[in-house]
Amino acid sequence: MKLLIIEDEQGLRESMQEYFTEAGNICESAADYASAMVKVNMYRYDCILLDINLPGGNGISILKDLKAKGHSDGILIISAKNSLDDRLEGLDLGADDYLVKPFHLSELRARVAAIIRRKSYNGNNIMTFNEIEIDLQAKTVDVGNTSVKLTRKEFALLLYFIANKGKVVSKNAIAEHLWGDEFDMADNFDFIYSHIKNLRKKLVEAGSNDYIHAAYGMGYKFAE
Amino acid sequence: MRLLTKYNRINLITTVIVMLFTGIIYYQAVSIILTNQVDKDLLVEENEIFEHVRINHNLPEVYKSDDQQISFSPANGQTITRRFIDTTYIDQKEKEPESGRGLISSVKAGNNNYQILVVESKVETEYLIRIIFSITIAVILLLVISLFVINRLTINRLWKPFYLILNNLRTFNIADKKSILVVSSNTSEFNELNSAIATMSAKAKNDYQDLKAFTENASHELLTPIAVINSKLDTLLQTDIFNEQQSKLLGDLYESVSRLTRLNRSMLLLVKIENNLINDDQNVNVKEVIEQLLAQFSEIYADKNIKVTINLSDKHLHISKSLLEILLNNLLSNAIRHNVDYGYIDIYLNAHKLVIKNTGKNLALDSNDIFKRFNKSSHSEGTGLGLTISRQICDNNGLSLNYQYDDPYHIMTISFKD
Repeated sequence: MKLLIIEDEQGLRESMQEYFTEAGNICESAADYASAMVKVNMYRYDCILLDINLPGGNGISILKDLKAKGHSDGILIISAKNSLDDRLEGLDLGADDYLVKPFHLSELRARVAAIIRRKSYNGNNIMTFNEIEIDLQAKTVDVGNTSVKLTRKEFALLLYFIANKGKVVSKNAIAEHLWGDEFDMADNFDFIYSHIKNLRKKLVEAGSNDYIHAAYGMGYKFAE
Repeated sequence: MRLLTKYNRINLITTVIVMLFTGIIYYQAVSIILTNQVDKDLLVEENEIFEHVRINHNLPEVYKSDDQQISFSPANGQTITRRFIDTTYIDQKEKEPESGRGLISSVKAGNNNYQILVVESKVETEYLIRIIFSITIAVILLLVISLFVINRLTINRLWKPFYLILNNLRTFNIADKKSILVVSSNTSEFNELNSAIATMSAKAKNDYQDLKAFTENASHELLTPIAVINSKLDTLLQTDIFNEQQSKLLGDLYESVSRLTRLNRSMLLLVKIENNLINDDQNVNVKEVIEQLLAQFSEIYADKNIKVTINLSDKHLHISKSLLEILLNNLLSNAIRHNVDYGYIDIYLNAHKLVIKNTGKNLALDSNDIFKRFNKSSHSEGTGLGLTISRQICDNNGLSLNYQYDDPYHIMTISFKD
């Protein structure tokens, strides 16, 4: 996939770029309004990660410009403004999603994956990972010919893992993804453990390989 | 004691004392003047006797009179000092003693010395004094009453601006956009008071706004560095295989950053709610939101083996859905987070109130303190802003949020306005 990261904060931009850089991905970046405009006018991307506050201009104008020209690039707004109006304005203008800083890179990746999925799997809602086959529409999972009964959260967790395959995902990021960032659970991550254990057990029992690995007690890694 | 009462009391006491004092002086003066008048009559009578004796060389005949009695008695060689006396006068007709004034004198008729006693009734005089005194008392009373009434009316009217100012102060809200109302008065003291209050309140508001702006800006500025730390941690996590000590350090870092993030978000949210910046009010069914949140949290309370009992009726509110969700999210997550394993949560919703009861680790909490910022139990990992935010949301939407403890339940009640 081909991505463009428009973000003025160097540290954040670099982390995002690094997190997305892997075989098969092209990840470009722009640090200000002018260079972002040049890039979006010259190339097309699967997904553009767009910061609202930019030196030299506003990310919303870039969004408007893209929509005015009829480009169908996926757009994920990244903003420090957790204002409902901004969120609604962004989504009304045609952005695909809105993520508020600070966020986990794994969350960003899951959101980007979802946008790209929506954009590219026209009508085809089946996603596969080796022997695991996921029907996004029906929300069902099959391993080979065996269907796996997952709860809503286990299903979300599996998608999250696949979007972040090969990456170590922290327990905090998983908890926030599944239960929302409003819920304050710093004192107890045990229930995440039991969730992951259940998902793992269900997949393995259905005949899948064991892809979920605990990583240093801080998180989990979904990898072959 | 009210100023008016105080003032009236002092005023009345002084008036009564002064009036009594003048009354006494007045009585004395009138009394002396009238006695002098009687004394003059007595002297006239004495002169007549002297005249009679000088011409006729004998004592005059004593004739009966209504208000005067003259009597002669031989002096028997005594020396008689001429003097006025207060005595009693016996009325011939009524045979009743009345107060009288007498003159003792002496006269030489023939070869004998006689003592003369002329007594005159003072009844008439005293009657006069009494009338004068009564009129005076009546005047005093009238004066006191009119003073009282006038004071009451004028003072109430004079102090009216003061009570208006006081009322303004009472309704003053530092977070309010409106400035304090100016009370117009032609009394310069009140005008000064008013302008002093207006200046002070404007300054307080200004400082408060500055402080709020600072909190907002500071929280905002913190977002980016926190986002960088967060992303760097996520990146660091991918780099290498960590040993146990490093993992522990990373885990602690994650936890702190996640707390910092939540704290920061809560602060920004609180500022926004305080400024009434979230106003996407719509018709929301509280019951549905609760059911949705419970489904969201089901794994978490199931993990703690908490038994949740619900009894919900439909209740529609006109409120921002996101704020209602934040409010209920805070209350429910508190009920779960501070609960004990195998504890209970009871949720009851009807048209008038929502009650969330939960068992918990803590004993009764101070119902005033828990809504204050950064007030939290020692072992809580929360931001300490959750209940402050909840209360603010309730305040902004005309709901009231209260806490009670009924062993073993902590009870949060939201009362809806009817």
